[in-house]
Amino acid sequence: MNLKRVSILLGKELLQGPKNFILIWIIVAPVLISLIVSLVFGTLFTDKPKFGVMDKGSSKLVASAQELDSIITKTYDSVSEIKQAVESGSVDLGIVLPQDLDESIMQGSQVKVTAYVWGQSLAKERIVLRATFANLARGLAGQEALVEIESATLGGEGSIPWNDRLLPFIVLMAVFIGGVFLPAISLIDEKQKKTLRALVITPTSVGDVFAAKGIVGVIISLAMGVVILTLNQAFTANPLLLVLVLTLGAVMASELGLICGALIKDATTLFAIWKVGGIVLFAPALVYMFPQIPEWVGKIMPTYYLVQPIIVISQQSGGWYDISTNVLILVGLDVLFLGMVVFTSRKAKRLIA
Amino acid sequence: MNGNMKGDDIPCNAIVADELTHWYGELVAVDHISFNVAEGEILGFLGPNGAGKTTTIRMLTGQLKPKAGKATLLGIDISKNVDRVQGDIGVCFEETNLYEQMSATENLRLFARLFGMHRFDCDALLERVGLGGRGKDRVETYSKGMKQRLMVARSIINRPRILFLDEPTVGLDPTSAESIRNIILQERERGATVFLTTHDMMEADKLSDRVAFMNQGKIVALDTPHNLKQQHGRRALKAKISTNSGKLEDREISLDTAETPDAIHELFSREQVVTIHSEEASLKDIFIKITGRELE
Repeated sequence: MNLKRVSILLGKELLQGPKNFILIWIIVAPVLISLIVSLVFGTLFTDKPKFGVMDKGSSKLVASAQELDSIITKTYDSVSEIKQAVESGSVDLGIVLPQDLDESIMQGSQVKVTAYVWGQSLAKERIVLRATFANLARGLAGQEALVEIESATLGGEGSIPWNDRLLPFIVLMAVFIGGVFLPAISLIDEKQKKTLRALVITPTSVGDVFAAKGIVGVIISLAMGVVILTLNQAFTANPLLLVLVLTLGAVMASELGLICGALIKDATTLFAIWKVGGIVLFAPALVYMFPQIPEWVGKIMPTYYLVQPIIVISQQSGGWYDISTNVLILVGLDVLFLGMVVFTSRKAKRLIA
Repeated sequence: MNGNMKGDDIPCNAIVADELTHWYGELVAVDHISFNVAEGEILGFLGPNGAGKTTTIRMLTGQLKPKAGKATLLGIDISKNVDRVQGDIGVCFEETNLYEQMSATENLRLFARLFGMHRFDCDALLERVGLGGRGKDRVETYSKGMKQRLMVARSIINRPRILFLDEPTVGLDPTSAESIRNIILQERERGATVFLTTHDMMEADKLSDRVAFMNQGKIVALDTPHNLKQQHGRRALKAKISTNSGKLEDREISLDTAETPDAIHELFSREQVVTIHSEEASLKDIFIKITGRELE
C-alpha cells in the first residue's frame, strides 16, 4: 500500500464521492429520526436539571447548590418526601445528605450519600447532577472529596424511557448506514463503470483503492455517530471514550461496506441484502428497545459490542473498567473483518480483470 | 549504448509472450500463443470478436494471470512483478471507463498524480488530442469520439514505453478515428512500442509494422502486411469488356502465373476493353483465406 496514492484517492473520494440520494440518506435520515425522537419524547426542549436535597444536618452544600444557575435545587424534609418527588418527576435526582457531611468531607473521611433516581428520568440530567454534586463537595473540601454516591433506582426495568431505548437504534443507524453504504456504493460504482480497472492499471493497487474508500467510510461514520450522540445529549460523560468506541464501530462499519462492495455486483442487490442483513446488524438495538428479549440475542451480533459500551458510557456514566471487555471484543471483530477485507480485495482484483 | 537496443543495434523485445494461455471454464480464450514485439514497433493484433484479443491484452498488462505460459514486458515477468512495469505502460481500454462526473482536466490530473507525474501539462495534452478548450467540461457531456480521445490522452499521460490500445477507433467518426491514428504514429515516433488490437484491416495495414491474425485463441499468421500479402494474397488484373451485344462483362487475370503475359495479350487483342485496373489482396482477404471466416 502506498500512502501517497491512498491520499490522492482519498481526496478524489471526498471531492467526487457520491453526491446523489445515497449521501442525503446517509446524513439526513439519522439526523431526522433523532430530531423526531427528541421532539416526541421531549428531550429537545428540556428544562434545567432538577436537583432534590433532603439534608439531615445543615450542610453548606445545599446553599451552594441553590446559588447555581445551571440547575434547579429543591429541598425536602424527609426521605419519603424526596422519594415521592423523584417518582413523580419533580426532580431528576434526589440526594439524602447525612448529618455530619460537611465535617466528614473537610476531615477527608469517606462519606456515603444515597441518590434516588427514577427510571423515566433522563440519563444526561442525572449525570449532570452527580457531577455537580461532586464539584460542590470538592469545593467544600478544597481538594478531591471522598464522597461515594450510591444510586437507588425507583421503578422497574419497564420504566426505561423510550428516548434511552431508541438511542442504540439511532446510533447504529448513524454509524452503519454511512459506514457501510458509502464504501460499498462507491466500490460497486467503480466496478460497474470499469473505472477500477483503469485505476489498477496504474501503479495504484486494489489495496490503495480499498484503503481510500475505507477511510472515507470511517470519517462519515464517525462524524455521524458524534452528531447523533450530540443531538441526543448523550455526549456528557467521557467524550474521549465515546469517540474511541465510535471510531472502532466506524471501522467495523466501513470494513463491512468494503466487503459488500467487493462481493456485490450492483446497488439493487446491495439494498436487497441490506434489508436482510440489516436485521442482524440492528438486532442489539431491538434488545435495548424491548428489554423482554434476552440479552444473549444481542450478544451474538457484532454490533452489540459497539452499542453496549456507548450505552454504559452515555446512560450509566460508565468508565473504561466497565466497558473494557466489550471494547476488546470490538477490536477483535475489527481485526477479523480486516482479514476478510484483505481476502475480498484479492477476489475483487480477479473479478475486475 | 542506447537503452532500447541490445549490442549491435538489434532492438530489444519490449513484449515477449511465451505459450500464453487462458481459459474461462471450458472455453479456451487464448491457446498457447507466442510472439515478440520489438521496442518502437507497432503490432496490429487482428481478429474477430471472441478471438482472444482482449484476454491477451489483459494478460500482457497484468490484469489477468495466465493459466499457462509467461508474458514479459521490458524484460520483467508480468505475472510476478507487475508493479515494476505499471509505470512504463499505458492502456486504452475498449470500453469507456472515465470518471464521467469529473471534468477532462480532473480525470487527467488524477491519473497523472497516480503515475507520479510532477511535470504534466494538461492543456497541452488536451490540445494534442483535439480537446483544447473543453478541459473544464464534465466528461458526461462529451460525445463518444471525444471520450475516446480522452481515453487515449489518459493512456499516454505517463509517456509509456509500451502502449496497449484495445480497439481505440471502433465506432468513431472518421475525424476522431484519424485523430487517434495520428496520435498512435506520434507515440511510435517518440519511441513507444504499440500493441494495437483492431477490427479495422485498413487501419492495421496503414499503422502496423507487423500484424498478427488471431482466431479462436490462436495466432494463425504473424508478419508484415507486405509479406502476408506476398505469401497469401493473389494479385489480379480486373477488366470490364464490352461484348458484341453491347453488354459489359468482367474479366480477371491472375498476375502471378506463367500464363499471365499471354492472357493479357489475348485480352487486349480479342476483347474490347472498357476499363482495367490491378488489384492487390487486402489483409481482409488474407484473413478470410487463412481462417475461413469474416472479421465482423
